[in-house]
Amino acid sequence: MHRLSLAPVANLLHRFARAVLLACAALVVQALPAQELLPVPLLDARVIDQTGSLNSAQRAALHARLVALEQQKGTQLVILMVRSTRPEDIASYANRVANSWKIGRRDVGDGVLLIVATDDRSLRIEVAKTLEGAVPDLAAKRIIDGAITPRFKVGDFAGGLEAGVDQLAARIAGETLPEPTRAQSRGAEPDWGGLLVLVLFALPVGAAIVRSIFGRKLGALLTGGGVALLGFVVGAHLLLACVAGLAAALFALLGGSSGLPHGWGRPGGFGGGWRSGGGGFRSGGGGDFGGGGASGKW
Amino acid sequence: MTRWLFIIIAALTLSACGYNDFQRLDEQSRAAWSEVLNQYQRRADLVPNIVATVKGEAAFEQETLAKVVEARSRATSMQVTPETLNNPEALKRFQAVQGELGSALSRLMVVAERYPTLKANQGFADLRVQLEGTENRITVARNRYIKAIQEYNVLFRSFPSNLTAMVFQYPPKAGFSVANEVQIATPPTVDFNKK
Repeated sequence: MHRLSLAPVANLLHRFARAVLLACAALVVQALPAQELLPVPLLDARVIDQTGSLNSAQRAALHARLVALEQQKGTQLVILMVRSTRPEDIASYANRVANSWKIGRRDVGDGVLLIVATDDRSLRIEVAKTLEGAVPDLAAKRIIDGAITPRFKVGDFAGGLEAGVDQLAARIAGETLPEPTRAQSRGAEPDWGGLLVLVLFALPVGAAIVRSIFGRKLGALLTGGGVALLGFVVGAHLLLACVAGLAAALFALLGGSSGLPHGWGRPGGFGGGWRSGGGGFRSGGGGDFGGGGASGKW
Repeated sequence: MTRWLFIIIAALTLSACGYNDFQRLDEQSRAAWSEVLNQYQRRADLVPNIVATVKGEAAFEQETLAKVVEARSRATSMQVTPETLNNPEALKRFQAVQGELGSALSRLMVVAERYPTLKANQGFADLRVQLEGTENRITVARNRYIKAIQEYNVLFRSFPSNLTAMVFQYPPKAGFSVANEVQIATPPTVDFNKK
């Protein structure tokens, strides 16, 4: 009986997988190339200050206000302070960052980004489509001109931001939005637990299956590739996904069939750009920013 | 074994021919296009308010104002349907009239700088804010439209989905172009002497 030999196909796959893994490795060791546009900052906190204009007490006070807003209404308001948005205009940079972060609840999309560029002396309130009724362009401009820039002009960044946040929160409070669920304010713990269980059970089983079909080396490569792909899709962070993939490949190669793999490390390696930082803040993933809001200069 | 392999390969190829993807991306392009039209309409709706506010200003340069009114009527009189997506000529014309309205408005704003009473007018300041917001929204909508048709056109050109496109006679989608690249490349001259 003729059996169609899979050996040449397997060989090809083997070489392809090795090439892909090498490419991943090359990306890992390569230094970050100079970019024309500013990269989107990592969303790990509600108040991101790249300029050092706020001390830790002021940051904590703002953070508390933003947490209160999210717990009360579910809206995610994030403050970002950068030195400059060049070569982009603050409006296009703010829109790019906000659409990349997608702050705001998944099914509601209520997010607001308050961005300040200290060297450019410009700021913008970028409002998601859901909240364009609560904070129309004119209202955002009035908040900027009335509450924020007068204080910025005398160098009081914390005061200006607090006043702005208060007025934005007041406008959002008046809007009827879906009630926030309790799970939102709890943070990221349930998800990590589920993910950890999935990894601990699925990875050894998956690796064993793949190994038995394709053989030891190819199985290891395919497991690594699969995990890297999954990590990239889930976490959208290429570097960590490749690292996770390499670790998984190594694990599959060594044929660990027993319990907790010690070398696996923290499951935070999966999270990439979405990991929970100090305040346990994670983007809701629903924000759609259509270019609404207003900018100002001081 | 061989038979099953062939069946599997055949099934995969057929699903890769992209018919469903064409439908999905076509709808996505239309949705993005509707959003662009929506934002352009929003800008056109702001113009009567701006014109009314500026008319109240005593010695305002009438030529500038007339141009804005004219450009708006031309922009709103052009009938645009989802079929414009497939017609590069119509899209070019649409883009041209909208571009004219945009430049007429920005000229109006520049001229308005010379009238202190108009600048101090809160109503006019509010309209400026709304116009700026609308222009931002137009930009975002256009970018999303460009992305949507990029996906569609990539599918249109890739193998084997280009064969599907040939069979069903799908057209490629037209994109926004820079109207006059030479004009854009030369920086605008600011002449403070002209009144």
